[in-house]
Amino acid sequence: MNALKVENVSHWFGDNLVLHEVNLAIGAGQIVSMVGPSGCGKSTLLRAILGTHPPKAGKIFAEDTLVTKPSRDVGIVYQHYSLYDFLTAQQNVAFGLMLDETTMSFRIFQPGKWWSLNEQHMQEAAALLEKVGLAAAKDLYPTEMSGGMRQRVAIAQALIMKPKLLLLDEPFGALDEATREELQLMLLKLYEENIEAKKNNKRPPHTILIVTHELNEALYVADRIIGLSQYHQGGERGATIVYDKMAPIFKPNDPKEVADFLRQKEDIRKAVFDADHLQHHEEFVSYWKDKEKPYQTPTGSE
Amino acid sequence: MIRHPIQKRTQIILGVTSVLLLVILYSGLSWRQHRKNPKDTTIPNLSQFVEGWKKMATPDAADEIWIVEDAWATYSRLLLGLAFGVVLAVIIGMAMGCFREAEAFFQPPLGFAAKIPPTAMLAVYFVLVGTEMKMYIAMIALGIFPTLAQAIHQAAKKDVSEHAIFKAYTLGASHAEAIWNVVYKQVLPRIIENVRLQIGPAMVFLIAAEWAVADVGFGYRLRIQSRLLSMNVVYTYLAILATTGFLMDWSLSFLRRKMCPWFGE
Repeated sequence: MNALKVENVSHWFGDNLVLHEVNLAIGAGQIVSMVGPSGCGKSTLLRAILGTHPPKAGKIFAEDTLVTKPSRDVGIVYQHYSLYDFLTAQQNVAFGLMLDETTMSFRIFQPGKWWSLNEQHMQEAAALLEKVGLAAAKDLYPTEMSGGMRQRVAIAQALIMKPKLLLLDEPFGALDEATREELQLMLLKLYEENIEAKKNNKRPPHTILIVTHELNEALYVADRIIGLSQYHQGGERGATIVYDKMAPIFKPNDPKEVADFLRQKEDIRKAVFDADHLQHHEEFVSYWKDKEKPYQTPTGSE
Repeated sequence: MIRHPIQKRTQIILGVTSVLLLVILYSGLSWRQHRKNPKDTTIPNLSQFVEGWKKMATPDAADEIWIVEDAWATYSRLLLGLAFGVVLAVIIGMAMGCFREAEAFFQPPLGFAAKIPPTAMLAVYFVLVGTEMKMYIAMIALGIFPTLAQAIHQAAKKDVSEHAIFKAYTLGASHAEAIWNVVYKQVLPRIIENVRLQIGPAMVFLIAAEWAVADVGFGYRLRIQSRLLSMNVVYTYLAILATTGFLMDWSLSFLRRKMCPWFGE
């Protein structure tokens, strides 16, 4: 089952052609990193998937639902403005449950029922905050939290909705290295939950598309990496997917050996970021073909 | 160094000193004036003030207690005018901040209306709604409305990022919930702060209107007593007006701190 299907998506702003026939399918339970040169259209594609700015051509499906506007099917965590200033960490996480499970009239005209449901929402939020290591910070407002804490809460806020797909738009871009690594570990733990669910023949709970400009991070946190770039033959018509391969799979406790993915990084640089490399990219877009054959992980951890 | 912090004690001492200096200065002026003319009423002394307070608090020939009649008339006009003005400004300002159509529709007339001095509109209200309570309410409400609505419009537009609204939709919000639970909640402290700023102008509009056309209220009493040079009553009424403004400002500030603790000081 595909959590996301992007079919022949093209987008342009006047004469500026941004995306050209982008095709992408993301299976449920995958954690996919998307990289690309600045201004290549990553944000445009993300906004199209989110539904806030539908593409000029092509279709996008979240599972079987055609995406035409933002909905609870696709969650988002932005680099900035991730939380609501007027809510505490716990209230921020419970906010989606309130919006999703109740209506304004229910909250106004059935205060008793709303009160007990709200208690339940707050308990769920507290449990999720504990899971992301922020139990002690549940009563803090965003202005009282560090950048890393805010992003953890933002991820919890999105996860509690159990979206079909979660988009992370450079979520760790404004954080220091140590905090960034903590949050990367958090993503690896989410991936472990997916593996555990698959083992038990359950639907993996987390499907994530993360946009990042940091190649090490892209390779470290994801099980698949895609490159969006205008550097391809016909690039004047807009960016498309020029790289799509498996990424090495790390477990949270594995050492982060950067040397392990040096070769893949070089390939990505050549295929995605090198303006002189305008050859055919078929050899780099081979995720689904590679998936058929056993994958040799550089770390050997899988 | 500029803006260097001072101790709380120093802050209190300086504040008390400034008030004491004013009292001493006034007492000195009053003492000097009464030495020249013992019957002077322009800078009343304490006994003259007490006499004025008695006059204000005891029934007059028409069996009316000035302070009660005036306070009731002025405060009811002020509060009703403020309430109507604030509700109207919140509705229109929020609509302008959330919907481009409302912004395009209301912006030109609001920009124009905000430039007309409300006291200059007195004759218009007089003709349109008469001289009763409705005129004072219209004067205050329509006097503060354009500026307040513009401020709320700007806050709703600038203080709430598009990302915050998109995110609300991804959490399952309807349009009404995005407006009420996200935009309104985010700009609430700005609304309260802007209402605080409008208390002064609202009082100016009301006193000016009462001065011109009322037969009861603080503005009316100030006009009559000023003509009679009964400054013991005039100064007392001014002090009551200042205290009213201060208490309303403090109440709104307290409300903001209680309702929006996240906003800080």
